[in-house]
Amino acid sequence: MATEEAKAVVPESVLKKRKREEQWAVAKKQAVDAKKKKDRTNRKLIFTRAQQYAKEYESQEKELIRLKREARMKGGFYVSPEAKLLFIIRIRGINAMHPKTRKILQLLRLRQIFNGVFLKVNKATMNMLQRVEPYVTYGYPNLKSVRELIYKRGYGKLNKQRIPLTDNAIIEQGLGKHGIICMEDLVHEIMTVGTHFKEANNFLWPFKLKAPLGGLKKKRRHYVEGGDAGNREDYINELIRRMN
Amino acid sequence: MAAVRPLVTVQPLEGHMATNALAGVPRPDVLKAPMRPDVVRFVHASLSRNSRQPCAVSKHAGHQTSAESCGVPAAPSPVSPASPAAEHTAPARVPSATCAAAAVCSPPTKTWRRWHRHVNVNIRRYATASALAASAVPSLVLARGHRIESVPEFLLVVSDTAEGVEKTASAIKILKQVGAVPDAEKARDSQGIRPGMRKMRNRGYIFRMGPLIVYGNIPMSSALNLVELASGDHIDRLVILTYHPYTLKLYGENPKLNSMFGTFDKSSEKKKGYVLLRSKMHNADLSMIINSDEVQLVVQPIKKDVKRHTLKRNPLKNLYTLLKLNPYLDKKRTQLPKEEAAAIKAAGPARYKTMISDSECLVFSISFTFIESTSDDHRMQVEPTESQCPVHVRRITLTTA
Repeated sequence: MATEEAKAVVPESVLKKRKREEQWAVAKKQAVDAKKKKDRTNRKLIFTRAQQYAKEYESQEKELIRLKREARMKGGFYVSPEAKLLFIIRIRGINAMHPKTRKILQLLRLRQIFNGVFLKVNKATMNMLQRVEPYVTYGYPNLKSVRELIYKRGYGKLNKQRIPLTDNAIIEQGLGKHGIICMEDLVHEIMTVGTHFKEANNFLWPFKLKAPLGGLKKKRRHYVEGGDAGNREDYINELIRRMN
Repeated sequence: MAAVRPLVTVQPLEGHMATNALAGVPRPDVLKAPMRPDVVRFVHASLSRNSRQPCAVSKHAGHQTSAESCGVPAAPSPVSPASPAAEHTAPARVPSATCAAAAVCSPPTKTWRRWHRHVNVNIRRYATASALAASAVPSLVLARGHRIESVPEFLLVVSDTAEGVEKTASAIKILKQVGAVPDAEKARDSQGIRPGMRKMRNRGYIFRMGPLIVYGNIPMSSALNLVELASGDHIDRLVILTYHPYTLKLYGENPKLNSMFGTFDKSSEKKKGYVLLRSKMHNADLSMIINSDEVQLVVQPIKKDVKRHTLKRNPLKNLYTLLKLNPYLDKKRTQLPKEEAAAIKAAGPARYKTMISDSECLVFSISFTFIESTSDDHRMQVEPTESQCPVHVRRITLTTA
């Protein structure tokens, strides 16, 4: 009897609320469907891009080999162009630093020991590196290094928060407006130092690497002197393997 | 307050002249003033200090004795006794054993203590308005503890014949007619002895407060005293107002309160430049506001899904997360593109041989043939096998002839 009464006299507020919730449910369903569609098309796009990049990297490698062989055959040498990309790792702690070098390390986003960042090579950055050489080691990362760093230790800066890159959606949210929508796009942008390298790099939170397995040789000396600091060119990759 | 009845009926009393039409009286705006118990408490506390008389201990207290102190107890101190510093440093005043009034060691109370408090006029008026407004809300008055079950209506307005009352008996009769007797009786029955030392100051007995009867023709200051209205600094005292016909205006409003406090629109006549204070929220019914159409039109749907922190898995180790990030690697890992796969199959063993020669690595498959003869030599044959990628040892087959 109570239910009959209730059916007869449903308060207006309840009716309104029901209607509202129905509308919301419809809108939500539409949004979900739209998102699904978008995700599907995105996925295809990501696939084709990844394929294209894989081809690109392969062809670059082959090209390098070819050029070297050619030069060798002719009795000369092939000098590959200077690297455009650097990976810097801070190898010293925070105590007893000159304020200017401290500031430069802050600008490079290396605030903690064994933090790593990618860096574009130009006169400005090279000069900065010169100032902080005793505190960092740096070199030219290869594709495997870049890829592994971003996949394993990649975190993005969204809303000033350090968000793990567990999904391409996160990258799209952060860098979608530059056409970077997935991990492979990001890797490609960093690797080839594209037009939006700055944004892509800044999106990446500084890498927090672990202390190198097997240890460092001698922090206070330059690499060239048997230590660890400064430019170690391609051998940075070996260090990254041990620190990633 | 939004939900206030606009009209108040005046309770007729015995001997009331029927000629005066008293059906309904519009509520004065004071009673819609915001109820601010915090303001009332503050003002009440301050104002109730104003009737205090100063008191203090006698300035001779504790000194009217001939006892002397034995002096400072000898104690080692870093300052030599001869230096002026030692003379001036006062060691902790140790009362000697003979010092009778140890209380003198703490500073005696003085009459010039600040007994009275000044309260801003505006706040005072605000508090009175608040208290009046609260007295018009039955639930509040009940909550304060008044017995109001038999009171016919809040706000309790009585015709002005009540003002002509001379004897207590007739006053009680009026209370009976109005239903205020239970409250008055409660007050009378509540006489009790005051706990504590105040008894020594002739404040031996305490009572509950009954109804407060307010005459219409008495100026505000004595009638609507906040200390009375909000006695015990709780607002909502049971207030019985009398209706004063002599100042009846054309519209029949209770002019006294309105002229005293003004309305929300008009400023008060009696109090210079005073306008009733408005409440912070005009409509304090939150649920009504939230569920109103205007608000709901603009409101977003309720977010029911909770986003929780997901564990980051290493894509270099975890295939699933890797594929989530890079779907291309799926095909790359497990299959070659169809054309290549077909080409390999078609090429067959020949391809294998070319692969060997190209890559210069030793790939062979060993098959042992056991010959059923007495001779003990085992034939080892190298056989090409189909394979897609070069491996070091492909297959060892044991075959019997």
